[in-house]
Amino acid sequence: MVEFENPSGLTVSAASPEASICSTGNQTAPSVAPPRKKRSLPGMPDPDAEVIALSPKTLMATNRFVCEICSKGFQRDQNLQLHRRGHNLPWKLKQRTSSEIRKRVYVCPEVSCVHHDPSRALGDLTGIKKHFCRKHGEKKWKCERCSKKYAVQSDWKAHMKTCGTREYRCDCGTLFSRRDSFITHRAFCDALAQESERSHQTLVVASTEGGLKVQVVPPPPPPPASCSPPPPHTPSTGVLSPVLSIQSSELPENPSGILQQQGATGLTTTTAAATASGSSTSSGTVSSSSGVFASIFASSAPAGVSQSSQSPSSYTDLICAIGSDRAVAEPMSLSLSSSLYLSNNSSSLFPPSEQDHHRHYAQAPQPALSATALLQKAAQMGATGSNSSFLRGLGLAMPSSSYHQDNSSTGTASQWNSDGKQENNVVASGLGLGPPGSDLMMGPSSLFGNKPTTLDLLGLGLGSGGGSSGGFEAFFTSIGGNLDVAAAAAAASYGGVSSGGGD
Amino acid sequence: MERTLFTPKEARYPNNQSNGHYQLEMQSTNQPQSSHTSTSRSSDSGEPCGDGKWASKLLRECARAISEKDSTKIHHLLWMLNELASPYGDCDQKLASYFLQALFCKATESGQRCFKTLTSVAEKSHSFDSARKLILKFQEVSPWTTFGHVASNGAILESLEGESKLHIIDISDTLCTQWPTLLEALATRNDETPHLKLTVVVTASIVRSVMKEISQRMEKFARLMGVPFEFNVVSGLKSLGELTKEALGVQEDEAIAVNCIGALRKIEVEERGDVVRMLSSLQPRVVTVVEEEADFSSSKTDFVKCFEECLRFYTLYFEMLEESFIPTSNERLMLERECSRSMVRVLACEDEKGHDGDCERRERGSQWSERLKEVFSPVGFSDDCVDDVKALLKRYRTGWSHVLTQGDDSSGIYLTWKDEAVVWASAWKP
Repeated sequence: MVEFENPSGLTVSAASPEASICSTGNQTAPSVAPPRKKRSLPGMPDPDAEVIALSPKTLMATNRFVCEICSKGFQRDQNLQLHRRGHNLPWKLKQRTSSEIRKRVYVCPEVSCVHHDPSRALGDLTGIKKHFCRKHGEKKWKCERCSKKYAVQSDWKAHMKTCGTREYRCDCGTLFSRRDSFITHRAFCDALAQESERSHQTLVVASTEGGLKVQVVPPPPPPPASCSPPPPHTPSTGVLSPVLSIQSSELPENPSGILQQQGATGLTTTTAAATASGSSTSSGTVSSSSGVFASIFASSAPAGVSQSSQSPSSYTDLICAIGSDRAVAEPMSLSLSSSLYLSNNSSSLFPPSEQDHHRHYAQAPQPALSATALLQKAAQMGATGSNSSFLRGLGLAMPSSSYHQDNSSTGTASQWNSDGKQENNVVASGLGLGPPGSDLMMGPSSLFGNKPTTLDLLGLGLGSGGGSSGGFEAFFTSIGGNLDVAAAAAAASYGGVSSGGGD
Repeated sequence: MERTLFTPKEARYPNNQSNGHYQLEMQSTNQPQSSHTSTSRSSDSGEPCGDGKWASKLLRECARAISEKDSTKIHHLLWMLNELASPYGDCDQKLASYFLQALFCKATESGQRCFKTLTSVAEKSHSFDSARKLILKFQEVSPWTTFGHVASNGAILESLEGESKLHIIDISDTLCTQWPTLLEALATRNDETPHLKLTVVVTASIVRSVMKEISQRMEKFARLMGVPFEFNVVSGLKSLGELTKEALGVQEDEAIAVNCIGALRKIEVEERGDVVRMLSSLQPRVVTVVEEEADFSSSKTDFVKCFEECLRFYTLYFEMLEESFIPTSNERLMLERECSRSMVRVLACEDEKGHDGDCERRERGSQWSERLKEVFSPVGFSDDCVDDVKALLKRYRTGWSHVLTQGDDSSGIYLTWKDEAVVWASAWKP
């Protein structure tokens, strides 16, 4: 092994097939080996460390450690040492040379690579091997389901565990099991079209409500997303995979999306690490604005997590239960037409877009009932399919005075309502069951913007015990009632195309 | 004596509002016969067959009667079909209903008018939302269109690898649903994301009206993906034969790919060679062609043959739709209605110059290959691309498969539904 010094102290050469070792950095006296190996920060190798440059051949060689006595090769240094003991070496030669105690960092042999520079060396041999394979190697491992290719077998194995099990959720609330349909849907989704209008509204909200759980428009349901296991952020993620994964379903120019992500992690009891990884992922996306939000979230993350302990765990349980019910009922469906609230025979003529919105509005109010009780009630409500008179029968208070919804949705709501009752209109607009397309997105924005008012509207304030249960029942019923009425209206019109409720 | 094919007492025009039923009243059967005297009034043609495939029998007989100009038989069969047909029934009933309309138009030489009516009705009821919902739902349940997308995208990406200025000329009717996945691939795969210019050529008026919304969505999505993007629409062409290099805005430093999905069949048969030559004058790196596998080119010469082919193809299509969608699906209904326009166009409209609307004369992959081979040479799909196709088909219900062609008869991949080739995808280079 050749060891040479150089005035610049930074030269690294790989002239010989064997490893060449150079010293870098300052030439202070070699310190005593630290009692414990410190793990240096990624990207900032220990300046006292030895830089080792291996040729690609040596790097990829499986038996890198060679016994000097019998030239037997070993994969690991420990194995070599164990073997050397068998040679009964005299004590002097048994000792490892002092230089070997020094921390080693490795550079990538690929000249054009950023890690070729010793200042960006990686501290782990396995790490540099994997890096070299991933970046500069041939991708020999391929996933059958999605045709994704990998150069490192362990990456491929990790992918195979999650491929096909992962679900994607669009901002509009629709769930996808297939990545390609998700991408195509996303490109045409109304949520995409609306985002630029929302962005500066939500900006204001973001800064004031750090621990906001229920999100501003677009209001996708973060809680269900967090019920499924958070997708592993594989090291070799491209630009898109963090963006399109469940937790981070937002885009560089959608700060509100990043809000949702924060909300998601805040609601569940995921660790701060997950939150941090989420924020760091979002800050990694291509936009300067996201960095701002990342810092907001980083600071409010603890607040979010602590606040989440207040929110009823039954809420998330309920959502999880609903989510799993849906998943069982129709594994391949997108619009999840077999939702709790609708009877199936109305789903064909009735525009399914309503279902999407009902789903995520259902998550907005926070019930005080237990999950099972709510589900039972919902099942009963769905079975009866009652109409608007039920609402009045419940004596649901409609504080229309305190709640000013934009009335563009009222017009369409009345279209659905055969009696044209004011209460139903308010409820409908309160639920955001307005006309599709842009107005549906309008609904929730004011809905969630006036969060306390909304909860009171439906009598679902956290403090009110008895009132909340009735309110929640009515909530389910009103959906069923409105939809049944609307289904009848839709059936009457031409082929369902020109129905007021949808496409 | 004049040829009196059919003089109904009351023939109301096809009513396309709630039901497509004809209200025909037939005269008594004492019509002056023309040259052919049909002696065989087969009585069994009225009874539904044991295996339930009565529609194809009746329809074939009717087509034969029309080509033989046997008006008595035509009356009889049209009447029977009318009785049994329904656009809301099972496959046989649907096929009977839509083909009845086309045959009726053929017999009464009212194809042009009928086609215009159908087109204007469709235009009125279509919107961006409905079109989007329709096509996305279709793509979710069936790989009929996504097959072509995946194969084409794979070929395009591979041939444009390493280029920094891409220009894709898209002549298709799938409303840009092909491009989000390509944009995503451009954003994630390459180290240096290239600049993409997308020029979409539309002829169908139905598509034109929604292009504005589509362009907005595409631009937003490309921004989202972080791909520098430019979107152009070339509309206002009456037919693809009018397309020119200048209209496409092709520039010197661009790497060009031409993507023709269901496009070549829209060109009038006589102009097809010219258009192919024009495409090669653009000097593209790759031309991807995807067409449905059917031969409707013999309509003028041999009506019955063309009809049989139509029947075969649309039977497959309708069966595929029935098995892919839920029974009460609105989307399936709309797709079936769109077929009716094609049927009328192919079977009942004479090809005249200046005819409104697109031609729909499909040809088989082997036929297209012959045309394309005059100017281009085939590019095989790489293993990766084929793997992508395989992975795609796995995501759908069973029944779908693919076949790679060997030999130079026709190059490309076929999508098969129950072992019948239905869609053909290929790639070409100059």
